Amino acid sequence: MKFVQCTSCNAPLAEAGATRFPCPKCGHEIRRCNRCRKQSVPYICPQCGFRGP
Amino acid sequence: MTGSDIEIELCEPLVPVEEYLAAGVHIGTQQKSSDMKPHIYRVRGDGLYILNVQGTDERIKTVAQFLSNFESPKVLVVTSRQYGQYPAKKFADTIGGTAVIGRFIPGMLTNQSLSHYIEPDVVLVTDPIGDRQAIDEAVQCGIPVVALCDTNNMTGYVDLVLPTNNKGRKSLSMVYYLLTREMLRLRGVKTALTIEDFETEL
Ligand SMILES: [Zn+2]
Ligand SMILES: [Zn+2]
Repeated sequence: MKFVQCTSCNAPLAEAGATRFPCPKCGHEIRRCNRCRKQSVPYICPQCGFRGP
Repeated sequence: MTGSDIEIELCEPLVPVEEYLAAGVHIGTQQKSSDMKPHIYRVRGDGLYILNVQGTDERIKTVAQFLSNFESPKVLVVTSRQYGQYPAKKFADTIGGTAVIGRFIPGMLTNQSLSHYIEPDVVLVTDPIGDRQAIDEAVQCGIPVVALCDTNNMTGYVDLVLPTNNKGRKSLSMVYYLLTREMLRLRGVKTALTIEDFETEL
C-alpha cells in the first residue's frame, strides 16, 4: 500500500491536521502533514517551484 | 505580443505602488516574527517593521488565483477584527462566498448539530491571532488555510500567506477590494466596484 506523502518532508499524510490543495501557481497537488503545517515548514511545488506558505 | 510585453503585463501591479503606500498595506507592527522575516523589507526609524509592497501585490494575485480553484460558496472568509468586517463581507457577497464576521462560534466547522454548521473547502482569515478558532477548526477538518499576515504573525497552520497590514482600515479595504477585483477578472467579469465600496464608514 502506497501512502500519500507530505510535499515538504515525505512523511505519510496519515494523521489529522494534514491537508491537500492545488499549488497556488500551477494547480499541482501540494500535500502538507500536520507537523509541517504546525511549524510552518516551507513547501516547494515540484512542478513550478512555487514556495509557500 | 512579444515576450517582453508579456513580462511587463505580468509584473504590472494591481494598483500603482503609490496607492498601496497611501493605504498603508506595507506598514507593519513593532514586532517581527521569524515566520514573516522573508516578507519584511526594512525597519523604520520609529521601530515599525515595513513589508515588501511588491510581495503583497504578488500574493494578492496568487491568493485570488488559489481561491478561484474552489466553488465560491465553499470559500469561507473570517474576520473578528473590526475593520475587516465590512470589506470581508463585501468580498464574500461579491464573489458569492461565505463570510463569518465578528464572533466565530466554536464548532461552526466541526459540530454538525449546530444550526450555524458550515462545510467550507477553504478558509481565508484576516488575522491568525484573532481568528485562531477558525484556523483550529479548519485544521480539524483538513481544509487549507489562507491568512492575511502582518509582521508580528506566526504562520503555523497557514498554507498560504498574504503579507499585509491586517489592522488598518484602509489597508484591509484595499486588500479585499483587490482580491475581489482579481477574482472577478479571472472569471472574465468586469466590475464597476471601487475601493470606496469596500471602505468601512468611520
Ligand atoms: Zn511534512
Ligand atoms: Zn506549482
